[in-house]
Amino acid sequence: MTIQELERMANRLRLDVVEAVHDAGDGHPGPCMSIAEAVAVLYFDELRLRPEEPRWQDRDRFILSKGHACPIVYAALARRGYFSLEHLKGLRSLEGMLQGHPDMHKTPGIDYVSGSLGNGVAIGAGMAKGLAMEGSQARVYVIVGDGEMEEGIIWEAAMAAAHHKLGNLTVLGDLNGCQSGGHVDQLSSLNPVQDKWRAFHWQVIEVDGHNVGELKAALDQARSIPDRPTFIAMRTVKGKNISYMENNNAWHKRTPTQEEVLIARRELEALL
Amino acid sequence: MNTLSTREMAMKAILETARKDERLVIVSPDAMLAARAVPFQKEFPNRLIEVGIAEQCAVDMAAGLASVGMKPIVITYAGFLTMRACEMMRTFVAYPQANVKFIGLNGGMLGGEREGVTHQFYEDLGILRSMPGITILTPADGNQAYQATLDMLGQEGPAYLRLASGREPQVFEAPAPLPQGGVERLADYGSDVAIFASGYVMDRALEAAKALKDRGVGASVINVTTLKPLDEAAVAAELARTGCAVTVEDHNIYGALGSAICEVACAWHPCKVVRLGLGDLYPRSGPAAALLDAYGLAVGDIVKAAYEAMEGKRREGPGGRGQ
Repeated sequence: MTIQELERMANRLRLDVVEAVHDAGDGHPGPCMSIAEAVAVLYFDELRLRPEEPRWQDRDRFILSKGHACPIVYAALARRGYFSLEHLKGLRSLEGMLQGHPDMHKTPGIDYVSGSLGNGVAIGAGMAKGLAMEGSQARVYVIVGDGEMEEGIIWEAAMAAAHHKLGNLTVLGDLNGCQSGGHVDQLSSLNPVQDKWRAFHWQVIEVDGHNVGELKAALDQARSIPDRPTFIAMRTVKGKNISYMENNNAWHKRTPTQEEVLIARRELEALL
Repeated sequence: MNTLSTREMAMKAILETARKDERLVIVSPDAMLAARAVPFQKEFPNRLIEVGIAEQCAVDMAAGLASVGMKPIVITYAGFLTMRACEMMRTFVAYPQANVKFIGLNGGMLGGEREGVTHQFYEDLGILRSMPGITILTPADGNQAYQATLDMLGQEGPAYLRLASGREPQVFEAPAPLPQGGVERLADYGSDVAIFASGYVMDRALEAAKALKDRGVGASVINVTTLKPLDEAAVAAELARTGCAVTVEDHNIYGALGSAICEVACAWHPCKVVRLGLGDLYPRSGPAAALLDAYGLAVGDIVKAAYEAMEGKRREGPGGRGQ
């Protein structure tokens, strides 16, 4: 896809999320919006996948460590061809296959269970280590939230991944500055978080997380270093591109009304 | 009583399996020495994945390794696994049914003995038994731990094997297979009372059964090597045969063997069950045998419990209350 097509895809995924969360009557729309470009670039440009063969052994792996933002990954999987868009309507329902948080045994295309915060980097490091031991060229990508980095296991895994020289592991940090209870800097500041990853011997690349070109370049650079894992620090906006959601943490978990869906549709369709 | 190290015997089985299966790896949260894994590290330096003192990371990395086809074993002290990394074991291994094996060291008072409460773990089995989808193995000595390790590594899916300090009393003369279903009658002096035991207090249960025989009481000793999934029908058959029971375990009495036998009794064959194990307290440092004696697992305690169980049967009838 071209950069413009990826930008349009990101906004299409955002609209899918608003509609799915509205239909479900439950979900976390705000945290999806800050990673829309990252998810679009990963699923429609970076990851080597076979949607017709979801368990292809040499596929690249992806873990959404901030698993509550799974509606946008579900939307990407549907648009990538893993299942029909109709399934988005069944988000979080008893009959549906799209769980409240990702489950690889219920949803094709999901590579691991996630949602309990902090665990994605360590699981990804295990995958990366195993793939390297097997001589596979497959790479592992993990998206973590910034609030999530308050979890201690993130740093256990950061140590282990650097120690094991896992150059096939890339972590994308969604630095939207917010977490469930408010602003990260007010709850337990991590900043400057980039310096912490550098101190753990990771390659750190800073990007505008809504700039598709910068994201693509960062992923290229991550691939160029074989013996160090990479942390891509994405400056992002929670609720991005929907006027009433942007930087409004009330949308961490909230269901849009029909009227709010219409507003979002109007705003996002203007960007398609 | 001879001792035979469960740690050494489990590692012997791991080495033998690793020579045949190059995907077997050990994930170590700085447990290489405790796990007696130095020979493994020497023979397979690339297959001992050291993550430092970081148990949660070890369990999650093992989950990731398993998801790409490796066969990881996480080994460290039982409580650092089942308590510190409890959620990782549950959510990222048991729930997705990852092919990860766990070996918990220092199980029980006997395991931690002189180390004190921080390194004694009498909650691990109760914690894990409440977790769907994980096999729990509690062999009776080093020889059975060897076979349990081989069996565990030969099967798909999450499993936990409980080991102890490396100074466990020997029960079997040679490597002993795990019984079909995980429940076996090791001694049978009659049907007056069943003594269910699991783990490295089996020698005490056997000694108590002999002491009871000398007093004219016919006890049987049932070795429960697979605490989960528990062969409930086999347990119920033993309860039906004796009409009363004692449980003996180096664990507290909440959630593990004692609870499991009581659950079967309630559901299948209501009868008197006396549970021996650690009560609602934390013990102290001390030599293993003295600790077990001090906290209610002396041979005399088992004998006394057997009489208590039989008294319950006499009052209430062999078929349970009111019969």
